Amino acid sequence: MTDKNEIVIALLGQPNSGKSTLFNALTGLRQHVGNWPGKTVEKKEGSFVYNDRKYLAADLPGTYSLSANSDEEIITRDYIASGKADVVCILADSSQLERSLYMLSDFAGIDVPCFLVLNMDDVAREQGKEIRVSDIEDRLGIPVVLFSATDRKGYDKFYAALEKAVENKPLLNSDALEAKYGQIPEYVSIRSIIGDISDNSKSSMWLAAKAVEGDAPVVSRIRTLLSDDKAAEFDEAVKNIDKGIVKTGECKFAWIDELISGSVNKSKKTVELGKFDRLITHRIWGKAVVVITILLGLLASFIPALPFMGLGSAVGMLPDPLNEMMINAGCPAFIAAIVCDVLIRCLGFVIQMLGFVFGVTFVFGLLEEIGVMARISYVFDNTMAKFGLQGKSVMPFLISFGCTMGGAAGTRVIDNWGQKVLTIALSWAIPCGAAWAVVPMLSTLFFGAWTPVIIAVILIVMILHMWLTAKIFGGSLVKPENRCGMIMELPPYHKPKWGALMRYVFGRTKDTFIRSLKVVLIVAFVFWLLSYTSSGDASNTVLFKVGQAIEPVTMIFGMKWQTFTAFVASSLGKEGALGVLSTIFSGTGTLSVGMMAGGEQAANLNELLLANITKPEALAFIFAITFNMPCIVALAATYQETHSVKWTSIIGLYYTFTALVLSGIAYHIGLLIW
Amino acid sequence: MKTLVEMKQGQEGVVVAINGDARYMSRITSIGITPGCRVRIVKNDKNRPVIVYSRDTMIALNSKECSNINVEEAN
Repeated sequence: MTDKNEIVIALLGQPNSGKSTLFNALTGLRQHVGNWPGKTVEKKEGSFVYNDRKYLAADLPGTYSLSANSDEEIITRDYIASGKADVVCILADSSQLERSLYMLSDFAGIDVPCFLVLNMDDVAREQGKEIRVSDIEDRLGIPVVLFSATDRKGYDKFYAALEKAVENKPLLNSDALEAKYGQIPEYVSIRSIIGDISDNSKSSMWLAAKAVEGDAPVVSRIRTLLSDDKAAEFDEAVKNIDKGIVKTGECKFAWIDELISGSVNKSKKTVELGKFDRLITHRIWGKAVVVITILLGLLASFIPALPFMGLGSAVGMLPDPLNEMMINAGCPAFIAAIVCDVLIRCLGFVIQMLGFVFGVTFVFGLLEEIGVMARISYVFDNTMAKFGLQGKSVMPFLISFGCTMGGAAGTRVIDNWGQKVLTIALSWAIPCGAAWAVVPMLSTLFFGAWTPVIIAVILIVMILHMWLTAKIFGGSLVKPENRCGMIMELPPYHKPKWGALMRYVFGRTKDTFIRSLKVVLIVAFVFWLLSYTSSGDASNTVLFKVGQAIEPVTMIFGMKWQTFTAFVASSLGKEGALGVLSTIFSGTGTLSVGMMAGGEQAANLNELLLANITKPEALAFIFAITFNMPCIVALAATYQETHSVKWTSIIGLYYTFTALVLSGIAYHIGLLIW
Repeated sequence: MKTLVEMKQGQEGVVVAINGDARYMSRITSIGITPGCRVRIVKNDKNRPVIVYSRDTMIALNSKECSNINVEEAN
């Protein structure tokens, strides 16, 4: 989507520097989300026009530094150094200036035009901080803007600095930093070995500093640029460095201190935990407060979700009358069925689910924005570390009791890709609202007073399932050597910025809508083909024929063809399982895709079920649908968050397989009992 | 000299040394904890990360890994 006259601006900043807020404010809904080539890292670009000039903004992954510890960091620094961006906008948080300027100090030495944005000026001023920008500007030699990305009125300053940077192509003056590095003997010797080599816009100073830090890609890159004897000398010098990153880190912060000395007035106030912080981080009550906060958030999510759900079910009403109209108008029944049964029903289903995603994204985006999410992470860090996860994972888990798709959407706040995928994989094991609607009804019907026992067993199996799944996938998703304990800032509470938040929420919902509709349509169409019959008799369908042919196999898992068909249908949506059984057993009506959103049920369904399904089979069926793939929309949401076809398929197949295994175990235990 | 995890709530200190693997040292540096910087312990509960205040920032650190950070007590 690059066009030649477009000016490319790259946004670089640590997490919590307000980078996304700035990106959203600049580009609004003109955003495009994709993947970085060959990586599972999300690539966000958006365009905007200012003063008749077209800009393309690239929102680089939020990283703490430009080292080579993660894909995100390598993508970020290679992109910047590649010269693909005409100008780099570096963000720092004014309220935590010293610490957040680390990104600038790590950037220093990459010679591309840039300017510095000191964001969250409003928070800094509330803290009694005063920053004199002109001093910093003089020392750095680049435009510096002090503003707040959430304040619409402050953007003139931002645009002015942007235009200045585009016109003058200013480079960051890093002489003072190099002088600091000069006090590290290892730096001096490496610098003299490599001389004045540079790599694209990575200057010899930047390369030498990274070599001191033991940065593997940089070290091997430098080696290829040197002559053989120099390379040997270089290897020797690099080998003997101990704790290089700590040494350069000291220099970077000494440089930052010098940079802002005399230009920042601070009030000497000791910062302590606030009242809510003391409660939520309480040793005993903390966890309860967090769980209550999330559950209240979940309830609140339903409020913005309701209009969507209404709209979705209204759309879901359309197929029947429309089908009639189309057929009366002479449209072939086959086409009418595709339009009504597949297209429109899917649309209605996705819109209904979307309401929940909208609500969850809104409420939990809000919690993230005001800073509550970081506290949640703190409270559950030790517990979740046992699964190889971070504290924030507790939130998607709780949401998944309501809706797995919402849970998947909630993993957005997890900043480590492997942990994000593992969280989604585990949250699939949590029975969602649809399972809770079907399971108690079925178990009451078959097992009466034993229902509480069955529910308790389901919960125990859920925990074992999560534990086992974490064991199976944890090793490759979150490599033990990459498992680092919590190092996270607890940002000061921010007032929510409604405009920015709403733009973000609408953008996400739109993305989810498009992506999940695609997946749902494909899967639904396949299911529809398998279950299509012109005569209205279920025994004419491909599904029936296949189901009956493989019944000897499915009986190992305790499922006859009828329950197996319902099981397959429950991967689309668990609400549909009963509708499918009802259709098959009563022999009326056709199986349809619409059933996944809860089809009509025969009035005598209970008797039909009792007459056709034995107790062990019922038990098997309950476990099969409870632990099956939650629904296709959850599958789509998983793809959207993980950006990985591979992992989405692995998780999908894994759950289908484990559901069958659990069903088989339940069946054989059932056979022993009854 | 103590490690960070041995410090009590309210105590202040200056970081003297940071140990650990390269990845850990890189992350802890990028969040602003370097030798010479002043830290104050805001909260240090058992089985919870340690909350410290340093460079105008409230930071939560895994308590096990805090034994990698040596601190000289200060008043």
